Amino acid sequence: MKFQKKLAKAKQGIPTTSMPDIVFMLLLFFMVTTTLREHDVKVVFSLPEAKAIEKIENKRVVSYIWVGKDGRIQIDDNIVKVEQVQKIMYAKRLDLPSIIVSLRIDKNSKMGLVTDIQQELRKAYCLRINYSTMKKAS
Amino acid sequence: MPQLRKKKPREAEIPTASQADLAFLLLLFFLVSTTIDVDTGIGLTLPEYVPPEEQVKVEVPKDRMASLLINEAGDILLDNQVVTLTQILERIKPRIIEKIELPANKKLIVSVKTDAKTSYNLYIQALDQVKEAYFEVREEYALQKFGKRVIDLNTEQLNEIKDKIPIIISIAEPEVVK
Repeated sequence: MKFQKKLAKAKQGIPTTSMPDIVFMLLLFFMVTTTLREHDVKVVFSLPEAKAIEKIENKRVVSYIWVGKDGRIQIDDNIVKVEQVQKIMYAKRLDLPSIIVSLRIDKNSKMGLVTDIQQELRKAYCLRINYSTMKKAS
Repeated sequence: MPQLRKKKPREAEIPTASQADLAFLLLLFFLVSTTIDVDTGIGLTLPEYVPPEEQVKVEVPKDRMASLLINEAGDILLDNQVVTLTQILERIKPRIIEKIELPANKKLIVSVKTDAKTSYNLYIQALDQVKEAYFEVREEYALQKFGKRVIDLNTEQLNEIKDKIPIIISIAEPEVVK
């Protein structure tokens, strides 16, 4: 009997009081690391499909330009004109020298508009571009 | 009165036993709701902008150039021959292969020129074909030389491949409408 009593004295069980803290830390880690910069996309577009596509390795240097079905251009959260693209993108490039511009252009757009945007990008020295496409099911 | 006497002092504490569960729930919510959409696409590097008056014409030997023209009707012209979309790959591939061993200044240049009314979709499809031709050549070269697929190569080998088979796609300077 004496022996049994001694055993009972030792506290068993893992302390769970700090578990919420640990979980919150995890939560914070996830919240910080996920680059959740959801833009409010105002234009309607459907991307073209392609096979030979690459992934963009570094998402943090990507800047988007949307072009909708109706030919409207959106950068960040604003609808802009073609002439404004150069100024906006140049300012962005100053912040991020290794900027990659991802062009999310509606597949029924005309090349005239695309070329105009490209010319503006060239003037703004944003030379690395990426035509955003969907993966073609083969 | 006997009722009052029975009342014990209440413990003023929030139960924290379920806090972990709540936090887990939040964590799960964030994990599920964040859409990590992988951005995929066709990468390209634009040439620097040169004002029209400063542009210099450089003659490129004909066999180095593969000029791709796409008009508004969707016709594709590769080196002055009408081709279909899928033929682009077949035609360009051998031309890339024959230039693998040539020095860097003799590699193939694919020039893509479009009309203002060409559909963007078609342009992407054509560009896709060109890119695929390059990727296939790279893949074959990697298998032949290193016995591995391109994705399994180390940086050194990858650089060699990029050196031997550089993807040079030139977007033609838009013509100024007078």
